[in-house]
Amino acid sequence: MLDTYHYTNKCSKKRLVKQNACLYNENMNRDIIDNRYTTQEKLQILADAAKYDVACTSSGSSRRGKKGELGNAEACGICHSFAADGRCISLLKILMTNHCAYDCKYCINRASNDVKRATFTPEEICELTVEFYKRNYIEGLFLSSGVLKNPTYTMEKMCETLLLLRTRYHFNGYIHVKTIPGASDELLAAAGYLADRISINLELPTEAGLKTLAPNKTMGTILNPMGKVQNTIAAHRMAIGKSAYMERSRGNQYLNNGIFSEESKRLFSRKLDNAKAVMQTEDKKSQDLYFNKKNENLDGLLTWNNACQLAPHDMSRLKRSFAPAGQSTQMIIGATGESDYTLLNTTQQLYQGFDLKRVFYSAYIPLNEDTALPKPGTPAPLLREHRLYQADWLLRFYGFQVGELLSEDRPNFNELVDPKCDWALRHLEQFPVEVEKASYAMLLRVPGIGPKSADRITYARRHGKLDFISLKKMGVVLKRAHYFITCGGKQMYHTPIEEAYIVRQLTSADHVEIWNARHVNETFTQMSLADFGIG
Amino acid sequence: MKIFTCQDRLEDIMTCIYDAWAEALRIGHDQVQLRKEPVFQQTMFDEYIHVDRDCGKAEKVIRSIRRDISEEAYLDVYYATLAVQEDALQIIYNFLRVGFAVGKTVLEQYSNPHVMRMLELRRRVSNESHHFREFARFQSMDNQVYVSHLEPKNDVIMLVGRHFADRMPSEYWMIIDDNRKTACVHPKDGSNYLRYLTDSEFETLRKTEDYEDSYTKMWRTFFQAIAIKERENYVCQRNLFPIWKRKHAVEFTIGK
Repeated sequence: MLDTYHYTNKCSKKRLVKQNACLYNENMNRDIIDNRYTTQEKLQILADAAKYDVACTSSGSSRRGKKGELGNAEACGICHSFAADGRCISLLKILMTNHCAYDCKYCINRASNDVKRATFTPEEICELTVEFYKRNYIEGLFLSSGVLKNPTYTMEKMCETLLLLRTRYHFNGYIHVKTIPGASDELLAAAGYLADRISINLELPTEAGLKTLAPNKTMGTILNPMGKVQNTIAAHRMAIGKSAYMERSRGNQYLNNGIFSEESKRLFSRKLDNAKAVMQTEDKKSQDLYFNKKNENLDGLLTWNNACQLAPHDMSRLKRSFAPAGQSTQMIIGATGESDYTLLNTTQQLYQGFDLKRVFYSAYIPLNEDTALPKPGTPAPLLREHRLYQADWLLRFYGFQVGELLSEDRPNFNELVDPKCDWALRHLEQFPVEVEKASYAMLLRVPGIGPKSADRITYARRHGKLDFISLKKMGVVLKRAHYFITCGGKQMYHTPIEEAYIVRQLTSADHVEIWNARHVNETFTQMSLADFGIG
Repeated sequence: MKIFTCQDRLEDIMTCIYDAWAEALRIGHDQVQLRKEPVFQQTMFDEYIHVDRDCGKAEKVIRSIRRDISEEAYLDVYYATLAVQEDALQIIYNFLRVGFAVGKTVLEQYSNPHVMRMLELRRRVSNESHHFREFARFQSMDNQVYVSHLEPKNDVIMLVGRHFADRMPSEYWMIIDDNRKTACVHPKDGSNYLRYLTDSEFETLRKTEDYEDSYTKMWRTFFQAIAIKERENYVCQRNLFPIWKRKHAVEFTIGK
């Protein structure tokens, strides 16, 4: 009802406080000092509010420690603990504040929700980070925030915190910062210099989805900064002699078909040029490509090549490179009706168009009651999230393209078999593969063989014959692979290359895992007499 | 069969390999075995020969591994010497037999069982050291010296210490192996060294574990708050963070 407009309407403040104690309280617009809670209570509130953010990784940045400073960064990333949900705790994942001016329907911190609200001061965040870090509880800081007053003010406070942490507290560890859509370019640039990874949440892959669920956000306000950040990262990388594109896993250099190969990059830019030419003939007036397109899906035209670079204040005395661990984003799964095909297509476009380091998926857990959303109590689509991550790995490490995995006719993943098996079953004409002769790219496409075992096979076969026992030792999952390979001209068992047969075998081998994944939200307990009203 | 035994330290192991190899040149490689001390049960018809460290001989073995095989192979051997497995010495010896025969390509011969066992050993040690980089928890009583207690299976505290030397160079800290009673000590702005603790020192240092401060409590709060109830999955948690590694992780111990 009054959600957004009452922040601007100062005259009616008193009335609002009386009528909507939960919607609006005086502390909301007070300055960031907040003495109602102790640090411990604030941590409870703000960690709880941040827990739905995924992307708690600390990888992608490699930095040695320095004398007199605290911290370094490891390229592989380090998980420090695992929470009760099995997710890794790598970073101190907190919100700076959970006061929020926005009213996104899926979010627990939406303005119209009645939840405990708190705000950390910059010093509190710094103290917590440094002390936790010294005790080896965390790998760094993950700072996100609700929108306090307005995006620029919030971002300013976040940058202040990071600057304090880097300069006065001499913290040299990993920092991941979420940017607030709508913050100014200067602040975005400052955040990039101070953090290792910078990210902005796409949340929903279509403009229509955003309109219904996040009325204060548009595709433009999200993709515009994403393009600018990536362009700045690329410029910084080239300035120190690296390539403009982010590093990808080593295997990608042998994969001509992958989304990061030179060939794909060329095709992608040609497609962009064509689309641009079509656009110009259709609508000569449209100068700003970002805001005039009203397409349903994420638009291929939005890339960092079209964005302008960020020109920050002079941050050179910090001697830091700009977001060395790149950019990431996250999408919500299952809040609106997108198909896996749409989600994965968006993912691929983000990797190719924005050179993102990662795209994360978050299975939507219904928290708010709203007609536009699934009802509270609906189980989170965990299996679907899992399949999407599997497919994401296929894109980034295995040289697959979205078009191979899904299509308009088959827009969703199979629940029973993983995407790679699914692909192999539809392309049985390419199997069996002879492991002693097959190319690295082809080995990677065999279910049960991953980058490491493919690597080992290519080395080992130079020096001697292979057999199934040594393949197993090298890490090949024969349970899945043996239907699809021959070794020295022989299959492991005499199995037919038939779709129905292999599907039956694969699903019965994995039936425990599949059952667990399907029934993850159910719990069973031993019946007792009390259940019958006795005792 | 002649069985050469030695203590579980790098120089001793290398000397043992030197002596065993010298003997093997006379009687054949199949006639020698290497064992770590202590040997609990001796076989009846074998001759047991104890080898003491000799830095000169150890130096020679290390030099020839680095020269005739490769630097990387030496690193693998070094990791393997830290392993807890009883037959680690024999595995290293078998690997070196292959290694000296074929040279530096030995590390790519994944289909050779001797090489594979050696690489498994190395992987185990480096995985464990990585885990304790993650799961080590420091505690400080005076905000000056930070102490961490670990109970690793393999002897990895020096490997773990190297990681923290880069991470916290300007702090005083030490990592204690509770099973072996050794400590990796790091003085401020200095370099790490290994110290064998006496019993009284060990008992004193044990007490740091009873101490808790407000940050320990806050960490527990954070740990509880960050889990999503709807996604609860204890099996996954145990897979990724096995219970035996949780002994000194404060988020799993019950506070006072």
